[in-house]
Amino acid sequence: MLSVRQQPFKTAVLVLVWGWLLFLVLAPNLLVVGASMMTRDPVSFLSLPLNLDAYRQLFDPLYLEVFLHSLFMAAMTTLVCLLIGYPFAWALSRVGKQRQLLLIFLLIVPFWTNSLVRTYALKLILATNGLLNNGLMSLGLIDEPLQLLYTEGAVIVGLVYLLLPFMILPLYSVFDDLKQEVLLASHDLGAGRLSTFIHVIVPLTLPGVLAGVMLVLLPAMGLFFVPDILGGSRHLLVGNVIKNQFLDARNWPFGAAASIVLTVAMAFLMFAHRLSKRRLGEEGP
Amino acid sequence: MTHRWLPRTYLTLVYILLYVPIVVLVVFSFNESRTGYAWEGLSLRWYEALFNNRAMVAAMWNSIWLALSAATVSTVIGALTALALHRYRFRGKKLLNGMLFVVMMSPEIVLAISLLALFLLVGLQLGYVSLLLAHVTFCLPFVVITVMARLSGFDDSLPEAARDLGASDFTMTRTVLIPVIMPALLAGWLLGFTLSLDDVVVSTFVSGPSYEILPLRIYSMVRVGLKPEVNALGTLLLVFSLVMLMLSQWILIRSKR
Amino acid sequence: MKKLALAGLLAVGLTGCSSEEPQVLSLYNWSEYMPQEVLDRFTEETGIEVVYTTYDSNEAMYARLKLLDDSAAYDLAVPSTYYVSKMRQEDLLMPIDRSKIEGFNRLDPELVNLDIDPNNQFSVPYLWGTTGLAVDTADIEGEPVNAWQDLWDDRFEGRVMLTNDMREVFHVGLRVLGYSGNSTNPKEIEEAYKKLSELMPSVRTFNSDAPRMPYLEGETDVGMIWNGEAVMGKDTMGALEYVYPEEGVIAWLDSFVIPKNARNPDAAHQFISFVLQPEISALISEDIGYATPNLEGRELLDDAVAGNRASYPTPEDMENAEFQVDIGDDALQVYAKYWEMLKSGR
Repeated sequence: MLSVRQQPFKTAVLVLVWGWLLFLVLAPNLLVVGASMMTRDPVSFLSLPLNLDAYRQLFDPLYLEVFLHSLFMAAMTTLVCLLIGYPFAWALSRVGKQRQLLLIFLLIVPFWTNSLVRTYALKLILATNGLLNNGLMSLGLIDEPLQLLYTEGAVIVGLVYLLLPFMILPLYSVFDDLKQEVLLASHDLGAGRLSTFIHVIVPLTLPGVLAGVMLVLLPAMGLFFVPDILGGSRHLLVGNVIKNQFLDARNWPFGAAASIVLTVAMAFLMFAHRLSKRRLGEEGP
Repeated sequence: MTHRWLPRTYLTLVYILLYVPIVVLVVFSFNESRTGYAWEGLSLRWYEALFNNRAMVAAMWNSIWLALSAATVSTVIGALTALALHRYRFRGKKLLNGMLFVVMMSPEIVLAISLLALFLLVGLQLGYVSLLLAHVTFCLPFVVITVMARLSGFDDSLPEAARDLGASDFTMTRTVLIPVIMPALLAGWLLGFTLSLDDVVVSTFVSGPSYEILPLRIYSMVRVGLKPEVNALGTLLLVFSLVMLMLSQWILIRSKR
Repeated sequence: MKKLALAGLLAVGLTGCSSEEPQVLSLYNWSEYMPQEVLDRFTEETGIEVVYTTYDSNEAMYARLKLLDDSAAYDLAVPSTYYVSKMRQEDLLMPIDRSKIEGFNRLDPELVNLDIDPNNQFSVPYLWGTTGLAVDTADIEGEPVNAWQDLWDDRFEGRVMLTNDMREVFHVGLRVLGYSGNSTNPKEIEEAYKKLSELMPSVRTFNSDAPRMPYLEGETDVGMIWNGEAVMGKDTMGALEYVYPEEGVIAWLDSFVIPKNARNPDAAHQFISFVLQPEISALISEDIGYATPNLEGRELLDDAVAGNRASYPTPEDMENAEFQVDIGDDALQVYAKYWEMLKSGR
């Protein structure tokens, strides 16, 4: 091992990175854990004694309902993204290489546009006097405008629109790795299309699915501005609850506990993702 | 060849859905109408209104300055981190990797409140500095990953040769490695710039009135209701990021030659 | 070449940043609650730039002020009635130096020296107003809407809007049940919650950023609105009427306060004096439709504005009206819990 003096560059870099991560990632997260176990205080935000009241409050049937509703919307978002994204990624991986690059570029371009502005554009389309309703009415398909804005559906549409690329990209990368020969081999061994799909394609693309779920489900619980704009401040996400607790109701322990729930969900998903990859590594060819 | 026809139709359909809102936005930014639903003729009035809005222009400059600095700082730190992870063995390497991954995966809101708690505890005034620290933190892992990807495809014998010729670590990094990872640095910088310019969630928590930035200004505007200025602003932002994207592609292609 | 471009970019950013720092007044106010013209004229007259940031509820304003307590972020804020007393009692405010304020004597004697702030040591009234019913008369059929209770009518399913304000929404629920809108009794609050949750299927959206917008956009037909918003909305949509409900409107007075750690209290005092000029008070009231407490300003009002019952109610309109008062932190927690349940319920 070379000493510090012999490798000043290495030492400097490591000190910088570790310093940054410890101070701005580890310390703040420990603070949140600490805050979640303190007592709400109306004057200064937190006070002793330490207790688990905030966690108990999470399981209060009232808040539980909020969380379940939020989870439901996030899960629906993820499901819709998966249903759209899976065949999309598949189809994308079958297009010629040159065109694939262009298509991926086109997929990413919307991501480079401000997400608030895009959410707002959806409002223009979904509003009672909006483009969709006007279009349907002038086609004579409906007589009265549909109530699309400020519904649960609108929130889900908004989340899907913002998060779809995050589902497609990891799926695309697993489909891209999927060797045509594997499918042919499966076919040669007498497997039908359905059986090939279930026994070969699904397991091989599972890490991509889990990565996509991770990239969609977590933000779908946190993007508080989507219900604000498209949900009419109804149909709250966990993100809205956390934001309200910190910036309106000043119940920091509860807000912190809610955020820890998200962190735990993340840890769980990351674990599942690793597991699926490892299993694939062991059983794969 | 029906099996070719079906996937292509499907792809086209999804792309149309993805682009409809953006097209609507751009088209309506040139709409004379105040209410914003019906077409009432071509006009540039919303662009004019936008540039006459002093608070908006100030927020725009603040945002651009913040994005420039956050992207630059995160690129420098991120690139050094990637180099260290690639070249050196050290204790806690896995942990470092894992922490970066966790930062990347964490929901923004979790990062936001943790940073808010930290800044309050140390008594840091919420403003430019707090925003910069927060933005660099969430940009960092993306830069590291981009640069790592480039490094992993790179032949290690070159730096070894340089070292054999007596070059110090620092000289070797400067003369051999930096040119190699330049495209990745550029890509990472650009990614950081965009992430910073787009961020609402983290900024909502760690900003103060002394430094108002564009996304928060837009947020308060769109919450008030339909404002045609938002269409104009969105169009400008779209054009701006497209130009940046093309510029970077152009530089990348040139650097490959 | 590349370096040159980067240097250029950095230089642009730098000059955008480091130009001469002008004096700045940081004003924290409700959204759409101050005409841009007033800010521009203030800057023109005094050379002080106004940084105008907004909030959509007293709770958000209060939480943010506390959060930024030490960093002295805001020079002036505009809390509603009951938050003035709360913030005063919690020692968050700086006393107003009356010698630096011109025109305090122009204020309506009935709106100064109230219980919320005896002798107005800490606050100067800005505007007052009411929260009542908004009715889009073009889109509803049948009986006219006269009472909060009418919102529960089946015909309005999916067409109702409420303000995104915990206290106001519960005020309505409590009044419909015959209780005080300032109730601190957990039983009554729970009853109000139950009553309101019956209304929820009808509620399309909550909005306190600009409560007129959902009516103008055609998303909702009846519901709550602030009187000034109703006046502004009627300019665009003639059919939007402001109705004083039988159970009584919610009344409030919004006052300027200076946070204890304000960085530029002189500019804050200057701004208050500026707004107290009769001409400016009149301009504000005409522009955003709320009632000015400035009596000399009222005399300058256009007849159409002064005679507009929505902005300036008659004594009959104010029958049963109730001012919001501070209810204490314990009751607030009870409200907060039911509020979240209400908004998340399906």
